[in-house]
Amino acid sequence: MDQLDLTIRIAGENGEGVLTVGDVLAEALARSGLYIYTFKNLPAEIKGGASMTQVRVQDTPVRSPGDALDILMVWNQENYDIHVGEVKPTGVVIYDPDECDADESLALTQIGVPLQTITKTVIKTMKSKNVLAFGILTACLGIPFDSAKQMVAESRWGRRKEFLESNINALKQAYIYVDDNDIDLGLRVPVNQRNGHAQLIMTGNDALCMGALAAGCRYYAGYPITPASDVMETLAKAMPRVGGVLMQTEDEIAAITASIGASFTGAKVMTATAGPGLSLMVEALGLATMEEIPLVVVDVMRGGPSTGMPTKTEQSDLNLAIHGAHGEAPRIVIAATNTEDCFYTAVKAFNLAEKYQTPVILLSDQHLSQRAQVMSRPDLSQVEVVERKQPDGNGSVSPQEFDRYEMTDDYISPMPLPGRHGQHYVATGLEHDEHAHIDYSPEAHIRMTEKRHQKIESAVNEPGFVQRYGAEDAQLGLIGWGSSEGPILEALDRTLAKGYKVAALIFKMLHPLPEKEARAFIESIPVVSVVELNASGQFANYLQGRLAVSLKRFNIITGLPFKAGEIEEYIEGVLQYG
Amino acid sequence: MAEVRTADTASTTAPERPGKTGQAGPAKPAAKRSLKDYRSEVKPTWCPGCGDFGVLAALQRALAERNLDPKDVVIVSGIGCSGRLPEFVNAYGLHVVHGRALPAAQGVKAANPELTVIAVGGDGDGFAIGGGHVPHAVRRNQDITYIVMDNQVYGLTKGQPSPSTPTGMQALRRSVSMPKMAPYEGVLEGQLNILAMVIVYGCSFVARTFSSQATEMAKTIGRGLDHPGFAFVHAMSPCPTFYNTYDPWKESFMPLPDEWDTSDRIKAIDMAMEEVGDGVFHSGVFFQDVYRTYTDKLQDVYAKAYGDEQATIDALMDQYA
Ligand SMILES: Cc1ncc(C[n+]2csc(CCOP(=O)(O)OP(=O)(O)O)c2C)c(N)n1
Ligand code: SF4
Ligand SMILES: [Mg+2]
Repeated sequence: MDQLDLTIRIAGENGEGVLTVGDVLAEALARSGLYIYTFKNLPAEIKGGASMTQVRVQDTPVRSPGDALDILMVWNQENYDIHVGEVKPTGVVIYDPDECDADESLALTQIGVPLQTITKTVIKTMKSKNVLAFGILTACLGIPFDSAKQMVAESRWGRRKEFLESNINALKQAYIYVDDNDIDLGLRVPVNQRNGHAQLIMTGNDALCMGALAAGCRYYAGYPITPASDVMETLAKAMPRVGGVLMQTEDEIAAITASIGASFTGAKVMTATAGPGLSLMVEALGLATMEEIPLVVVDVMRGGPSTGMPTKTEQSDLNLAIHGAHGEAPRIVIAATNTEDCFYTAVKAFNLAEKYQTPVILLSDQHLSQRAQVMSRPDLSQVEVVERKQPDGNGSVSPQEFDRYEMTDDYISPMPLPGRHGQHYVATGLEHDEHAHIDYSPEAHIRMTEKRHQKIESAVNEPGFVQRYGAEDAQLGLIGWGSSEGPILEALDRTLAKGYKVAALIFKMLHPLPEKEARAFIESIPVVSVVELNASGQFANYLQGRLAVSLKRFNIITGLPFKAGEIEEYIEGVLQYG
Repeated sequence: MAEVRTADTASTTAPERPGKTGQAGPAKPAAKRSLKDYRSEVKPTWCPGCGDFGVLAALQRALAERNLDPKDVVIVSGIGCSGRLPEFVNAYGLHVVHGRALPAAQGVKAANPELTVIAVGGDGDGFAIGGGHVPHAVRRNQDITYIVMDNQVYGLTKGQPSPSTPTGMQALRRSVSMPKMAPYEGVLEGQLNILAMVIVYGCSFVARTFSSQATEMAKTIGRGLDHPGFAFVHAMSPCPTFYNTYDPWKESFMPLPDEWDTSDRIKAIDMAMEEVGDGVFHSGVFFQDVYRTYTDKLQDVYAKAYGDEQATIDALMDQYA
C-alpha cells in the first residue's frame, strides 16, 4: 500500500471557527494512531481577516507542512480565491456554493456543500457549523461514522454534555449529505483506537514548557509577546503546582534581570520572548555573561525588524542571538528543530546553563512554536538533569579566602548561593578578579575575558548538537539550522530517491560553533549551500567569517516555513544547472 | 564537575514546599554581631564627604542591630556612585545594570523568600532609567527594603541634572557641572516629587531620612527592614563634589510633627506635596500599613495548587495525550 500522505487545508474568516475544525481534526487523527503536522496562518488581528489551518497526515512522522493541497475546504469567496491555486491537480476543493462561486475553468474536483444552509435549516444551531464541516471532512476521508462520532465525543465539542447531542446530530447530517450526494473521494484513512498515553500531541511551545519543567525550571519571568506568550500562559498554570514562581513583569528588561536575580539564589530560571523583547534584553545578557549566572532565554523568532510580522515565521534573530552584545559577551546559542526536539532542547538549555554558568539562548520560531506534531511521550526517569557547581561543605572556607571566579581547569568555578553557603560575594557587571573584586587591570581583563570565552568553548563537544545526513559522496551539501531541519531532510530523502547525491548538515548548536564538523562537511562536498529563512543569509555569513570559505545560499522570506518541495526544486536546480 | 541526575529525582523540595525553609541552614546561636562584622575588605571609593558614607554606616548598623547572618542578606544595586554600596558590605551582593536593581531584587526574593533583600541605588538609577520599575515593585509588595540615595544629581557621570534636581537656575549655583548641561535657563524639566510618587503608587512603607543624621537614619532603615512588605526609604545623601547641598539641607530637614499618624495615606501625600513649597524636608516614616505580601499570596496559591512535583509534570503531559 502507498504511504498515507494527505495535506488538508481549511480556510475562512478568522474567528469563524475554522481553526477549531483544523485543531479537532488534527487531534482526532493523531489519537487514531496517525502522525500529524499542523500549520496555521493567522492575521495579527484578534477577529476578522483571512485565516487558515492546515493538517498534514501521514502514517509515519511528518517533517514539513506539506507542499500542495489534497483537500481544500473554504467557507467563502475570499478564501476560495486566496487558496485555490495551491490545490494539487489531483486535489479536491470543498466549498459552500451559497457563499462562493467555484471557478469552473479549473481542472479540479470541486464539490459544493452548502454548509451555511444545512446548518441554518436542518441543524438549526449555528454553533454546530464547525462540526458539520468536520463531518464532511471525515466522511470524505472515508472515516466510518462511528469512529467520527467517537472523535467528536472525545474532542472539545464533547466536553459539555448539553451540546453533545446537537453536535452529534450535526455530524450525522454531514454523513447523510455525503451519502445522499454520492460523494466519494476514494479515500480510506485508517483510523485505529487511540494509543493510550504513549504519544502526545503538542505544539513546540507546549513541549518546550514541559522540557523546562522536567529540567527543574522553577522561576519564570516574562512579558507577553506573540508568539512566545503561550509559554508564559502554560507555565502560569504549571508553576504553582511544582512549587515554582511565575512573574509577569512590566517589560522584558525586568523579566531578564528578575530571572538573573532568581538564578543568583540558585533557582533554575527561564524567560521567553520574541525579537523585540530580545533586543531589550541585550544589556542584561551581557550582565549574566559577566557575572557567570545560569539563565535560559527563549527567543521565538517572528518576522522582523521592528514590530514586523508578529504572526509570521522567520529565522532572522540569529545575528542578535550570537552577536548582540556590547563588549564581548560570549553565550551559548542553540536551536530546536521540531516539537519533540523542543522538549529535549529545553532540557539541554538548562543543563548547559547550569554546567557552564552562562546565559543560553534557545531559538525557536513562530511556525515551530505554534504547530502541533505527534511525539513520543518523554520518559522523565531518563531525562538527565545537571546541577551547577557549588562550593563543598558549608562555612569551611571563609568569604575572604574564597574565590568565586577561581581559575579551574575547565574555567568553571563553584558558585555559592545566598542562604546556603557562607562564602558570600558580590557579583558585579564591572570587570573583576577571581575574588570577585573590581579590577580594571590589563591582567584581570585578559584573564577573565579568556575565562568567559574558554569556559563555553568546550560546549561544542556536547553530544547531539550537529548531525550529518544523506550521501557519503555527495555532490551538493545543504546546511540548515533549527526548524528548517524537517523540510530539508524530507527534500533530501526525495532527491536521494531520485538518484541525486546530496547530503545535509543540521546545526542545533550555533554558538560556540561546531567548527570541526562544519569544516569537514564543507571541504568534502563540491557545492555547499546554506538554507535559511532570512534575507541576508545570517548563518551563511557567520560560517563564511569563521571558516573563510565561500558558500551558496538558499533563502526565502515569505513569512512562511520552508516547503520540502521548494528545497527539492532547489536541489534539482543546482545539480542540473549548477 | 557539575552534578548530574535524572528528572525524577531532581526534586529536593519538601512536600509542603514553598517557604524554602531549611535552605538557610540550621540557625546558629550566633554571637551578637557588631557594625564591623558587616564591613567588607573593600574600602569605599566615594569622595571624601560623600553622603553615601552615612547611608552605608546606617545600613551596617541596622543589620548589626538585627544580628542578621551575612550569608542570608542580599544587597542588590544598579549603577551609580550609590550602586557601589554592596561591595562595601560583608554580605551577598548583586550589582546589576543601570536602573534594574528593583527587578533583580524581586527575582532574588521570589526565588528565596527567606533572604533579607535590600535594593539600593541613586535618584537617576531609580527614577530616570529605572523609573518604570518602581510602581510594579510597589504592586508586588515583596518584603524588600529599597533605599534610594538621593543627591539630586548624577554623581558617577560627573554632575548632570537628575529627575530630582530642582528646576530652573536653582541648582546651578551649587554645581560646577550643571551649567554645562543647562547653560541658558537652567534645568528646563520639572522636579519629580519622588516621595509623593511612591506614596501615590500605594507603597506600604514610605520614609525619609538624611545621611547627616546617622542615628536617625539607622533607625529608619531598621524600621524599613522590619516592615513586612515593600519599604521605600528616601535617603537624602549629598554629593559634595557635583552638587553640594549640605548647607541648605541641614537647614531644611526637620522631623515630621509629633504624633504623626502614619496610617493616613492622604495626609502623607499632602505633606509630601506641601513641604516642597515650604522648602522643607521632613524626616521620619510618612506612611506605613501592613498589606499581604507577594509571598503571602503565593502561599495561598501553593495551598491550592502544589502537589508532588514529578507526578504533576506527568499529569501535565497527560493533557496532551
Ligand atoms: C544603560 C546605561 N546608560 C548610562 C549609563 C551611565 N550612568 C552610570 S551611572 C549614571 C547616573 C547615576 O546617577 P544616580 O543614579 O543618581 O547615582 P549617583 O551616582 O548619583 O549615586 C549614568 C547615567 C550606564 N551605566 N548605563
Ligand atoms: S561624585 Fe558625588 S555621589 Fe559620587 S562619590 Fe563623589 S560625592 Fe559621592
Ligand atoms: Mg544621584
